[in-house]
Amino acid sequence: MTVIAELPRVRSRARARVRPPEVAAAIVLGAVVLAAVAPQLLAPGDPLAVSPVDAFSPPGLAHPFGTDESGRGIWTRVVHGTGASLSIGAMATLIGTALGVVLGVAAGFGGGRLPGRIADAGVSRLLEVLFALPGLLLALVVIAFTGPGAVPATIAVGLATAPGYARIVRSQVVRVRRSAMVEAAVVLGRRPGTVLLRHVLPNALAPVVVLATLGLGQAVVWASSLSYLGLGAPPPAPEWGAMLSAGRTYSTTAWWMTVFPGLAVVVTAASATVLGRALARRGSELP
Amino acid sequence: MRTRLSALIALTAVGSLVLAGCTSGGDASDASAPRSGGTLTYATGDAEPTCLDPHVGGNYPQALVSTQYLESLVSKDSDGEIVPWLATSWEESSDGLSWTFDLRDDVAFSDGTPFDAAAVAANVAHLQDPETLSSTGYLALGKVTGVEAVDEHTARFDLSAPDSALLESLTQPWVAMESPTALERSQEENCESPVGTGPFVVESWTKQDRVVLTRNDDHTSPPADAAHDGPAYLDEIVWRFIPDSAARYAALQAGQVDVIDNVQPDTLVAAGKDDALAEIDAPRPGAANRIELNSGKAPFDDERVREAFITGVDVTDGIDSLFFGTAERSYSPLSSVEPLAYSDPSLFEVDVDAANALLDDAGWTERDSDGFRTKGGERLTLEFPVSTNQSIPAEQSLFEQIQAGARDLGFDVVLSPLDVSSWYGALAANDYDLVSAPYTKVGPDVLRILYDTAGITPAPSGYFANLAQLSDPALDDLLKRASETSDADERADLYEQAQTIVLESRTVLPLYDQQNHYLVGPAVTGVRALPPVSAVTLYDAYTVD
Amino acid sequence: MTRTPSTEADGAVDGPTEATVPEPRRRGVVPAPLRWVTGRLVGAVVVLWAVATLIFFAIRLVPGDPAEAILGGPGSQASAEALALVREQYGLDDPLVVQYLAQLGRLVVGDLGTSYSLRTDVSGLLLEQLPGTVLLAVLSLVVAWALALGTAWWATLGGRTAAAVSSSLEIVASAVPHFWLAGVLVLVLSTQLGWLPPVSTGTPVGIVLPVVTLAIPVAGFLGQVTRDSLLDAAAAPFALTARARGESRSGLFRRHLLRHAALPGLALSGWAFGSLLSGAVVVESIFARPGLGRTLLQAVTLRDIPLVTGVALASALAYVVVVALGDLAERAVDPRERAA
Repeated sequence: MTVIAELPRVRSRARARVRPPEVAAAIVLGAVVLAAVAPQLLAPGDPLAVSPVDAFSPPGLAHPFGTDESGRGIWTRVVHGTGASLSIGAMATLIGTALGVVLGVAAGFGGGRLPGRIADAGVSRLLEVLFALPGLLLALVVIAFTGPGAVPATIAVGLATAPGYARIVRSQVVRVRRSAMVEAAVVLGRRPGTVLLRHVLPNALAPVVVLATLGLGQAVVWASSLSYLGLGAPPPAPEWGAMLSAGRTYSTTAWWMTVFPGLAVVVTAASATVLGRALARRGSELP
Repeated sequence: MRTRLSALIALTAVGSLVLAGCTSGGDASDASAPRSGGTLTYATGDAEPTCLDPHVGGNYPQALVSTQYLESLVSKDSDGEIVPWLATSWEESSDGLSWTFDLRDDVAFSDGTPFDAAAVAANVAHLQDPETLSSTGYLALGKVTGVEAVDEHTARFDLSAPDSALLESLTQPWVAMESPTALERSQEENCESPVGTGPFVVESWTKQDRVVLTRNDDHTSPPADAAHDGPAYLDEIVWRFIPDSAARYAALQAGQVDVIDNVQPDTLVAAGKDDALAEIDAPRPGAANRIELNSGKAPFDDERVREAFITGVDVTDGIDSLFFGTAERSYSPLSSVEPLAYSDPSLFEVDVDAANALLDDAGWTERDSDGFRTKGGERLTLEFPVSTNQSIPAEQSLFEQIQAGARDLGFDVVLSPLDVSSWYGALAANDYDLVSAPYTKVGPDVLRILYDTAGITPAPSGYFANLAQLSDPALDDLLKRASETSDADERADLYEQAQTIVLESRTVLPLYDQQNHYLVGPAVTGVRALPPVSAVTLYDAYTVD
Repeated sequence: MTRTPSTEADGAVDGPTEATVPEPRRRGVVPAPLRWVTGRLVGAVVVLWAVATLIFFAIRLVPGDPAEAILGGPGSQASAEALALVREQYGLDDPLVVQYLAQLGRLVVGDLGTSYSLRTDVSGLLLEQLPGTVLLAVLSLVVAWALALGTAWWATLGGRTAAAVSSSLEIVASAVPHFWLAGVLVLVLSTQLGWLPPVSTGTPVGIVLPVVTLAIPVAGFLGQVTRDSLLDAAAAPFALTARARGESRSGLFRRHLLRHAALPGLALSGWAFGSLLSGAVVVESIFARPGLGRTLLQAVTLRDIPLVTGVALASALAYVVVVALGDLAERAVDPRERAA
């Protein structure tokens, strides 16, 4: 019989102060959210206004990010496209976390009794199946049946991310369920529902929030990949993946059409990751 | 009109032959004699065919690759004249109900089977057999009731009605001649390696990767307008499938491939600055790239609304900028390589005020909060399904610009990019107001397929070709007479009248020719596009240092 | 010698380990390796069965005629003969239970049906395409691991700036979409510098760009996870003790820290492989490499359901195998696992 003891951390780390990268990430994400909610503030132009005479202008004073093949400003389109690009990623993450929580609780809450164990086994097998069809593959399989579009893409990406969340939630639920606090609640006669809502869920969900922030970045990348493959939002919507796809045809002559939307994806995903890791660090320092 | 077009075609053909002959750096010593040997790598951006036998189905990717190993009875030269190929001469009977072809007597298929009248009969039977599932070839020979082998090298085609388009149909690769011995194999086997009389032979097909063709040393039958006769120069052709256009061009520049097709407009411009690369501009025959307006249902059942759309939205500026000047605006329903194409720019002059007046006239006087016109509470919406397979990115951008231009007039154009299957589904369900559906066929008979009333009736699969849903008895009559007359002048005149009706019906907005560009790298020369369907032919190609 | 005391080596994915004493593992009668193998096989079969069942019902749940769906959707323009043939092949007029059992029967024998778009037997096609994609994924995983461990080494030994730089590099790398990265790499390494060919050539040099494109984002993730557990291990008392006893930094890394660092990464190797398979769809298309990813993309565009099913099953199988191998690797690296 082995005993796995938890070692106290002796890492000599400076007091948890806010570091520059985290500040930068927070500012960037703030700007991104602002662009998603009120793009007019950051880019007053019209992202749909075509002007063939201005087509393929390099970055300059009039258009800081240059123009695309129809003379539309790339800066304007990147800013106005934030909503569309982010919403698919955000919705997918929401679906993934919601589904993940449900599955994780179903698997972990039952305890040692038989129905609980059956639920656990069943859900774990289901998770394995979902894992076996990784991200983009699952999305493609779903789209093979439903046809392309923003909604199937969102659902597919959400389904693909759910198993990861479910696994974490399950192990968290199991841990909390076995803790002394829950034992006490049960002994005191609290009903399972109350125990679930008041004690298990709040404690189990903390890491989920952190992971969701990390997952948001990934979801944005996946959604843009689907748009790139022509399976996402229809034109002329200024969605980043679609802009990258359109710009790729002209990449030799108009580099700004791919670089800026690509940067938008990378910067958003990276900022979400940095913040997520910062949250994780904070979370693990709590007593 | 016709002579000017012929001259233009001739100039283009000569120009492209000259360009094709150009090699890198303008080195004088490279105007060398053709020499035997070498491998040419061709990279196509078209979808991989599902079957290498163009009798089955019948699409352009099949035509491209089968031109290297299959030959037809007749071909076309760059002036648009029918020239001999596997048939040396032909004669129409006085009642027009049969055509007699004299065949070459010195040709054999690459499996040894001799080419004769019996072989021709076997091929036509194969095309008309429902189990072959031929669509293009089957339609092309729609009036043929059978083929009789009068003697060993004379074949007679019997028709149900006179067919002025028969020769043009027979130039197409989809009715090319295959070995009757090979045709008797299972369709699966024949799809993998069809046997023909062409300059190359299919050696292997690695799905999703490449087809390898090797020289047919016994080849004796080039078309009459070829640059040499006898066997081809190249030892081998590697036919690769590279769907990404940027990757294709990068591979050409790196010397990994020697010829590419489906060249995008901006790549054409960049290649134009590169002395090492030669361009072949070979528009496909048949219909021009056009947008069709569904006159079969509201709102386009009202001619005023159609006219408002056509005269109110400017497409020329968009075409010039998106295609970098490589595509010329077309004002004809037919491709500019068709000698009988008729065009009328005056019908397509843009007048926004007149367009607005027409819409007011038609009752679309109110506007809703988004600025779109409404009538009786209903918005002026136009559904425009776009096939992402068939429309290149520049064209899709053009549609977006049209959408923006139409918006100013008050039209709400809804663009839906769809995969091929969903696109066909939308058309079959009559779920469209605007659509762009290219159609490649040799000859003006394509007008009958696209604009005859019979074209509105769906085939069992649900597909119908008359997407404009144009039904005009006068037009039907003109098209019928044109397809049955043997008088060339009368035919030309009838088709001109027919095209006038089509253009004046305001159901068609011509854009440009079906773009078809090839780029040739410095390591090879002698590449040209075979005139019938502008498919590349590597028969005269050879390697240079 | 002294066994390295445990730290949260398996905490990266599953959350903190339990604070209470876990249930003791029971020793069965059957010896461990056999039990493990049978367990894995059963698990694999269950996963494959589940995937096949899901797709079976998906075909029949899609609105419209299932025969049409199999042949490519509503606009497939399938002829009446083709539809009749499919109906007969799949027994679509039989009762649902019979259809289902027949389908399972076919799968057991290895008959995956015929791809209507490629006119070929699906199982044959998969066997042809699978090695190429697996090679690409495995090479990319190796390169990703090398990059991740390399940056981890550099970060531990290099001091604060190295740690900060490598951290940012990893985060950015994990956020880059494949198609964008491919474009940039081809532009720089191929078109401008001419070092590498832009499309696959069939020779080893042609696989370099696709592998690098696939490896970088995964390396970013693995790097982040590896570094986290590396830092944890480096701060543990045993590391301090080792250093106090005169162990060099690189020796410490090699002999002790590496194992701890590698564990969460190994646990994630299944996920990493899955991510590589996903990325292969885009990378194979861009670099014109024959493989399952490119085949799947074409199959989805043409709605060729038998082919989609085949690729889904093949990928599920590959994933299960890789996870099993990852488990084996974990056991090899972590002595604690072996003792149980």
